[in-house]
Amino acid sequence: MEPFSHFNAQTIDDAVLILRRYSDRAHVIAGGTDLIGKMKDRILPGYPEALVNIKTIPNLGFIETRNGMVRIGPLCTLEEIANSEVITHHWLALTQAAARAASPHLREMGTIGGNICQDIRCWYYRNPNNRFPCLRKGGGRCYALEGDNRFHSIFGGSVQEGCYAVHPSDVAPALVALDGRVKTTKRTVPIEDFFSVSVQKTTILDADEIVTEIRLPLPVEGTKSAFGKFALRASIDFPIVNCAAAVTVSQGKAIAARICLNAVYVTPYRPAASEEAILGKPLTDVNIERAADAAVSGAKPLSRNRYMVQIARTMVKRALLACR
Amino acid sequence: MESVCLCPYCKNRFAGHESLRAHVVAEHGSAPLPKPDGYITLTVNGQSYEQKVEPEWTLYYLLHDKLGFTGAKQMCDRGACGSCTVIVDGKAILSCMTLAIECDGKRVETVEGIAASDHPLIEEYVKHHCMQCGYCTPGFVVTAKALLDKDPDPTEEEIRVALGGNLCRCGTYPQHPKAVLAAARKLAK
Repeated sequence: MEPFSHFNAQTIDDAVLILRRYSDRAHVIAGGTDLIGKMKDRILPGYPEALVNIKTIPNLGFIETRNGMVRIGPLCTLEEIANSEVITHHWLALTQAAARAASPHLREMGTIGGNICQDIRCWYYRNPNNRFPCLRKGGGRCYALEGDNRFHSIFGGSVQEGCYAVHPSDVAPALVALDGRVKTTKRTVPIEDFFSVSVQKTTILDADEIVTEIRLPLPVEGTKSAFGKFALRASIDFPIVNCAAAVTVSQGKAIAARICLNAVYVTPYRPAASEEAILGKPLTDVNIERAADAAVSGAKPLSRNRYMVQIARTMVKRALLACR
Repeated sequence: MESVCLCPYCKNRFAGHESLRAHVVAEHGSAPLPKPDGYITLTVNGQSYEQKVEPEWTLYYLLHDKLGFTGAKQMCDRGACGSCTVIVDGKAILSCMTLAIECDGKRVETVEGIAASDHPLIEEYVKHHCMQCGYCTPGFVVTAKALLDKDPDPTEEEIRVALGGNLCRCGTYPQHPKAVLAAARKLAK
């Protein structure tokens, strides 16, 4: 790696001050499992001048249940979340998602805050030494459109940028299905609004903004949640498609449903038609099949990723079946 | 591998910052000097090391190239293969994706320490012939050691999951759970 400055932040304010001083030339580092790979491969045109280590800030690794919600600190590792009894009890989809992310080593290192802030894994974007200066690096075009797009979006590109790289997180769809909120140093937003697509950004975070907390409401009586992942390898692999669902059943009928697919679109993707299709109906095989059909009814696959449509449909079906 | 530190009062040279701090407190009655940037103290296999590191050094580079713990191996260098696994504060982590400068005050255990402690894993790995070329083996052993520390009686499935991040291109996978189970039995005795 090339030289850079390194700071151990003692408080969140401390970290924000350093980030501000470097404007957008500094990066926050927590687990580092995404960032260090990016820096080693020099995938970006610019190189960070400084890293701000937030692991030295005390008390950011909490899991607290209070006032009808759980508050999760951004430095909670995925392994801690996967092994948390309280999260398994109330928010099963999150446990399942955390346990399926990456490999055991990376789960010990990677944090939940870092997971939702991670960068895209598009193989043109990630090609070493900035070989493909694509749209997401401020360049002129998306190489996946005419290139090999077997792992790219099946629901179209981002509106402003025309980028087809999917969001690779396993944890994000679970947080969306569980109606999570993200608290940062500047605002608190629903997790769906947290993801956004622009040059070198996968979130709404400003250069001097840090995630400070993730909140999940306590599910109402009769709610079940589940997460499923399809990947080429069972261990240490990014998803081809994953899906989380949380369904509340009352008197035999689904009265609330949140479904979220990921790795199929530029941000975690909520198939609204699928949620509508299951609302007010019992979770029978037929209704679940219909909801699964609705989930991919708007699919616009590219030249080489038509196969993902069938997988996405099946993942929605499996997630809903697991919520019965 | 300790760096030379210059006393700001009398210009005497000291091996390592800890001895410099002791000197300025004793001889010059000064408050202990703050640690300069990039100085870290870490324990490797029970022995304490003081080291000046650059921000871009990974823990792997420090252990392997600077301190001479050549057991950890560099393979993918991107956190995808597990060959560089070491135990830091009880957790099996990838040293190629960890910055050395962020390991101040940490307790590191490498495969050398596991071998020196006569851990039954070493003997069982040899007995079950869990290697062909042997390049990935230290990573497997370290990961298995961390598992046995946490769970002295793992099931075969738990071992498979725990070793899921270690790749072996010789394909010795079926042997590993056998060796770890045998080592767990030996430890229980």
